[in-house]
Amino acid sequence: MIKELGPGFRLTLALTILTGLLYPAVMTGLSELIFPRQAKGSLVSVDGKIVGSSLIGQSFTRPEYFHPRPSAAGSGYDATNSGGTNLGPTSAKLLHGTTKMDDKGNEIVDFDGIDDRIVHYCIDNGIPYTSSVPLDHFMDSHGQLDDVKLIKAFNDDKAPLIFTPKEEIPSDAVTGSASGLDPQISPANAEIQAAHVAKARGASVDQVKQLVSQFTQRADWGFLGEPRVNVLMLNIALDRKFPVSR
Amino acid sequence: MTSLGISQIVVYFLIILAITKPVGTFLFRVFEGERTFLHPVLRPLEKLIYWAGGVREGEEQSWVRYSASLISLSIFSVLFVYVLQRLQGHLPLNPMHFSTPHAPPNATAMTPDLAFNTAVSFVTNTNWQSYSPDTTVSYLTQMAALAVQNFVSAAVGIAVAVALIRGFARHTAKTIGNFWVDVTRCTVYILLPICILATLFFVWQGCIQNFKGPVTATTLEGSTQVIEQGPLASQLAIKMLGTNGGGFFNANSAHPYENPTPLSNMFQLLLIFALGAGLTYMFGKAVRDTRQGWAIFAAMSVMFLVGAFICYGAEQRGNPMLTSMGVEHAYTGSQPGGNMEGKEVRFGNAMTALFATVTTDASCGAVVAMHDSFTPIGGLVPLFNIQTDEVIFGGVGAGLYSMLIYVIVAVFIGGLMVGRTPEYVGKKIEQKEVKMAIIAVLATSFVILGFTALSSVAPFAKNGYWNAPGPATANLNNNGAHGFSEILYAYSSGAGNNGSAFAGINANTPWYNLTLALDMLVGRFLFIIPALAIAGSLAGKKLIPTTAGTLPTTGTLFVVLLIGTVVIVGALTYFPALSLGPIVEHFQMLGGKLF
Repeated sequence: MIKELGPGFRLTLALTILTGLLYPAVMTGLSELIFPRQAKGSLVSVDGKIVGSSLIGQSFTRPEYFHPRPSAAGSGYDATNSGGTNLGPTSAKLLHGTTKMDDKGNEIVDFDGIDDRIVHYCIDNGIPYTSSVPLDHFMDSHGQLDDVKLIKAFNDDKAPLIFTPKEEIPSDAVTGSASGLDPQISPANAEIQAAHVAKARGASVDQVKQLVSQFTQRADWGFLGEPRVNVLMLNIALDRKFPVSR
Repeated sequence: MTSLGISQIVVYFLIILAITKPVGTFLFRVFEGERTFLHPVLRPLEKLIYWAGGVREGEEQSWVRYSASLISLSIFSVLFVYVLQRLQGHLPLNPMHFSTPHAPPNATAMTPDLAFNTAVSFVTNTNWQSYSPDTTVSYLTQMAALAVQNFVSAAVGIAVAVALIRGFARHTAKTIGNFWVDVTRCTVYILLPICILATLFFVWQGCIQNFKGPVTATTLEGSTQVIEQGPLASQLAIKMLGTNGGGFFNANSAHPYENPTPLSNMFQLLLIFALGAGLTYMFGKAVRDTRQGWAIFAAMSVMFLVGAFICYGAEQRGNPMLTSMGVEHAYTGSQPGGNMEGKEVRFGNAMTALFATVTTDASCGAVVAMHDSFTPIGGLVPLFNIQTDEVIFGGVGAGLYSMLIYVIVAVFIGGLMVGRTPEYVGKKIEQKEVKMAIIAVLATSFVILGFTALSSVAPFAKNGYWNAPGPATANLNNNGAHGFSEILYAYSSGAGNNGSAFAGINANTPWYNLTLALDMLVGRFLFIIPALAIAGSLAGKKLIPTTAGTLPTTGTLFVVLLIGTVVIVGALTYFPALSLGPIVEHFQMLGGKLF
């Protein structure tokens, strides 16, 4: 055993230098030479300013933009903290959401849950629905939906709120991705969102849908993966084609 | 399931089938020391490493010395990785200032138990990550500590498989090769050249490879997004080829920088199985009957395809509770349907299920989705794959030596049934081999079930040292049966040296870090040392001629016997635990029960 210690130490050192320093250094040099855009993060600039990366999803909440999927990365699309919800299929938290108390003793949303997301998706996109209790009961003083009230109603053991859309919701629209940074949405999700974007920008729904189809990527080589729409790239094109005055 | 989804799985399998012979032939030549087309360029590098390591190339080792060398390299590897991690705050290439007073507020401390767990994890080819890389490790730690072990632990696994192959191939021999030479040749002629090409492929597809610090972007809506960077692609290549699986980012191969396109995903899948499949052919070639290798390949393929389609079917059917809430569950061509919680749009259900199956068939452990959010049956497939010791192509080297251990069990059972001394490829399988095989199989199940049971009941004081959240079950992210599955998956993944997780569990406490480290050590070394002992014992035996009484080990009968052995041993050992986890959860999900 003692005789084996020498080579053990020396080989660990030698392989560290070869595979831990030389190899990544040479690969970085080659990559930046051959594929500089990708190696440096596929960054996207508008008017000379970096607005993000075409590969990294970012948060959009305004009606004039297409919205990405729900995100569990940090407080949402935090590209220093990637990850998913890790909630399983029998999780009440995942389906109905949870609330918590903040420092000041106010009840706030802890996790919104799929039910609450479906409500917002229907309202935002004008999807017809049935609700066991009219949604007016869950408005705050400003006439906005109060998510805390909604989540509590969905979690009510005795008479839970039953909210059912009359059209099926695309499965990516109300579920969180694995990375929390998914840059893409499904084409069906984008089609549905075209209406609110068109309205907010004073464009016709057909014009916006046409842009969506331009930005729809098919499966790689015709059969690998799924069709998808890159939200950031689509929104940049919207700003260019149908600018909104702010 | 859709025809597009099915075709992805079938095409993937056909490519693996096509590359098995060329890869296996190349592996055979490298480990026999024959000259290959790479020698004019790389032979000087090989010699340089022998010189630096003080290794005599021509020297042969007995199985005991071979094991001692392996343990020596592993000890120094653990020490190197541990020290580098603990010192990362004082070393260069740390643009996020981890382990310094300037660390970001969400940073994780590199505590002694975490550094030890991580060192053991990467040296044992597990790549279990109790930490989130995004918030814990510097570029230097990633490159010079973790990625180095991705190479070394892969080379060690392959060396063990090669030594065991020599045990079957040689006769009346006292030695099984030279460990240092096998590790060096594997690194120089196999791992490095493929990784160089793979890195460039991944960067072409969009993976990052740079040394700059995080980029700050101003989003279209005017807020700020900080995007982490780093030397990712070079580490990704060996992470897949070496079936290591430790992510550069927390989201692993689900992170768009770590797997930007379905094409890069397909390539990652191919890297996982490439060497494991090639080794089956190399085995056949070494024992001078390639049908022996193809028989093992066939058993692996059947189990692979069955697992992939069960997992795909379960994920595409999705969660009936979401369907009743109005979420589309069918694939429509313009949206994926199924269970998309914890999955990426670009991969959808079919590619994700394929990846989850492949990464656990092999002891890879990279993920493109959060297995914790899978349906119960979708999650059962990866879990069972790990628990049956990842014999389906398997981790590089580990897959073949684990499968050969099951072969020994299978021919032993076959021998009992026909009442003759079992034989395999011209060697008598006797008491010593069977004992060693049983030690290997039992050791992993002992730690998996033992630690799972302990963690299910272990009481700890809240805010204490061992487990600050309180009892060991307080670290779980899910309640009910799914929470139990998180514990069972963690210790299965550790002992199976897989590294994937039901990642909701918070394993970064001294209790979990240390028990998982022990779990990984047992799973690695109580498999490797019995395998080398078998190699030594077999190498010394005489070749016996095939007779009419020999159980043929190349036909369908043997393939079925081998699959039966793997599945029955796995089912008998783990069925009670699985029924408390995913199986009961499946019925709870169908019954609409929430926790």
